[in-house]
Amino acid sequence: MRPRAPAHPWLMLAPTLLAFGLFVFLPLALTARASLQSWDMLTEPEWVGAANYGALMEGGELWRVLGRTLGFSVIVVVGAMSFGLGLAVLVDRPGRVFAFVRGSVFSAYVVSWVAVALLWVWLLDPDAGAVAAIFRAVGLPRVGFLTDPRAALVTVACVAVWKITGYAMIVFLAGLRAIPASLREAAALDGASGWQTFRHVVWPMLRPTAAFVATTSLITSFQAFDVVRIMTQGGPARATTLFVYAIYEQIFLNLSVGKASALAVVFFVVLSLLAALQLRAWRSRGGEPA
Amino acid sequence: MLGEAGCRRAERDSQGRVRLRLWHSLGGRPRAALLEIVRRFHEREPGVRVEAVYQGDYFEALAKLRTAVAAGAAPALSHVVAEVLPYLARANALEPLGGYDGLGELDLVPALAQSGAFRGGAERPLYAVPLNRSTPLMYCNGALLREAGLAPPETWDELASHAKALTRSGSRWGFEVPIAWWFWVAMVGQAGGAVFDAEGRATLGGDAGAEAIAFWQRLIHRDRVMRPPPGRDYDAWNVTNQDFLSGRAAMIWTSTAFLRYLEDNAKFPVVAAPLPAKVKRSVPTGGTLFVVMRAAPAIEREAAAKFLRFFCETDQVTLLSQRTGYLPITRAAVARMEGEGFFASHANDAIAQRQLADVEPWPWEPKLFRIQRDIVNPRLEQAVLLDRDARGLLDEARRAAARPS
Repeated sequence: MRPRAPAHPWLMLAPTLLAFGLFVFLPLALTARASLQSWDMLTEPEWVGAANYGALMEGGELWRVLGRTLGFSVIVVVGAMSFGLGLAVLVDRPGRVFAFVRGSVFSAYVVSWVAVALLWVWLLDPDAGAVAAIFRAVGLPRVGFLTDPRAALVTVACVAVWKITGYAMIVFLAGLRAIPASLREAAALDGASGWQTFRHVVWPMLRPTAAFVATTSLITSFQAFDVVRIMTQGGPARATTLFVYAIYEQIFLNLSVGKASALAVVFFVVLSLLAALQLRAWRSRGGEPA
Repeated sequence: MLGEAGCRRAERDSQGRVRLRLWHSLGGRPRAALLEIVRRFHEREPGVRVEAVYQGDYFEALAKLRTAVAAGAAPALSHVVAEVLPYLARANALEPLGGYDGLGELDLVPALAQSGAFRGGAERPLYAVPLNRSTPLMYCNGALLREAGLAPPETWDELASHAKALTRSGSRWGFEVPIAWWFWVAMVGQAGGAVFDAEGRATLGGDAGAEAIAFWQRLIHRDRVMRPPPGRDYDAWNVTNQDFLSGRAAMIWTSTAFLRYLEDNAKFPVVAAPLPAKVKRSVPTGGTLFVVMRAAPAIEREAAAKFLRFFCETDQVTLLSQRTGYLPITRAAVARMEGEGFFASHANDAIAQRQLADVEPWPWEPKLFRIQRDIVNPRLEQAVLLDRDARGLLDEARRAAARPS
């Protein structure tokens, strides 16, 4: 199809381009500029070149934040997908009991992050919490789930998994129900076991769904803020200072717009790289993004 | 012109009263006391309407205040922690108050006012009037102390031995304090150091800074008698208070601000004591000071000055202090509370009041807040919770503090 005038496509795209330019690219450019300045929002910004990036690199803080965020994402994505898929397979049955279980598991997803975080702070109290009581009852040692820097990140990630597993389960359930029953019947007629049916029939059909769940879980995990803000405020000893929280901390608590902007630029680059890798993976399989 | 009129904020309400915007961070009893003072002010000054709006904890409120200043929408009146005052003054965000009728001559308790809470504070223009001022204070569970035959500890060694005697594995910690700048600064002073030297360099206490961290490390990791509360900032403070009230911590350090709250909610006698000494006693001041924002309209700044004068009258000062545990900020209020026998009947308040003799002033250093938040606090947590080399981390912190922000 040829446009009547060369300007027509641009005119059609103009509203979208304008919105993108105004709300995405312009803020990005301003952030990139601010990352090269020392600025506290009150005094005049001072040009410092790459000093903010240098300060973040010095002592390895940037790499630690990146490592923590990636580690958190791995736990959240793998955990949510595994539990979501497992639960979907288990509760993909008729009956009120299974409907109740599906509703119960999904209910965590519709509760706000703040409520979930507050609930788990209470449950995980190493002395008075319900989880600690269970640990004591079975003779396990006392664990400072949120006070021990070695345990805090995994704990917060597990809470995130608990929160979004219901969502993963519902999406997997939809995927499972979209698989024609005739395929399973054919597999059964061919003498395939339950595992063989899942491995060679169900899973290949679920791959687009799995890619969708992985992508959305990844986005959720990279955006994690509320759960950190409520449960640990980035501590103990920065063990849960993830990327978005680190940006918030720099700009709003430490009054350093320059360092916060430098972090935001790095975050943008990391997300762009991840998006590119994901697109490439899809294209190499000849598939389309879900 | 229409746009300008539409964007400009209304300085008066529909009844012609001056709107005085007050952003505050007070919750619970201090908020109730502030709102009572606002109510009284409205009776005295019917031409001014104070619009008191809660803006989150001190640090959240500061973030909002800073953003509002940058956006040209700052309230006329707010309050900030002492550590941020030099930074805001340097940024030219604060209105000097000395020229306002009566504000330069307030009879304030020096240790709690700009003049004595900062080194050289009296030589600078008056930027702040104390609102809710406090120091760290030790609170002991009187029943447990009596049961163990102990008196409140007076030295670090006694604190460690008392904590050991009062700890019951799995059910009670001998001692609890948030791993935070304020308490570390107190311990640096007690160990004979200072966070800044006389020339304004961030020495972070030198050996005393490391000694303070090592003491915490010993109590947590070697003696296992101290609980570092989870969370940061006021979340950790809240946990500390709740652990004390529920009997899970026998001795805590927290602010004098919680004196009345802890006394009223504890099911045991609360025994306050000065913070113990290493080589001497020392405490920093805490709480906040009122500031008037330079960018606010003149009519609102005038109204703010009126409110501050009213706030510093003895009736208001005693109200806030007696209802909360914040220290009375004027000498007249102290005299009245003494005269009326308040300190005689409130031994814990008297101890908090006496501890003012141990106050170490803050340096007037614009980088102070950044050093607290960005440089010291995270390293304190690392050193204490991960049991890392305190000297190495403080060396790193000193290097970071020496860099331009």
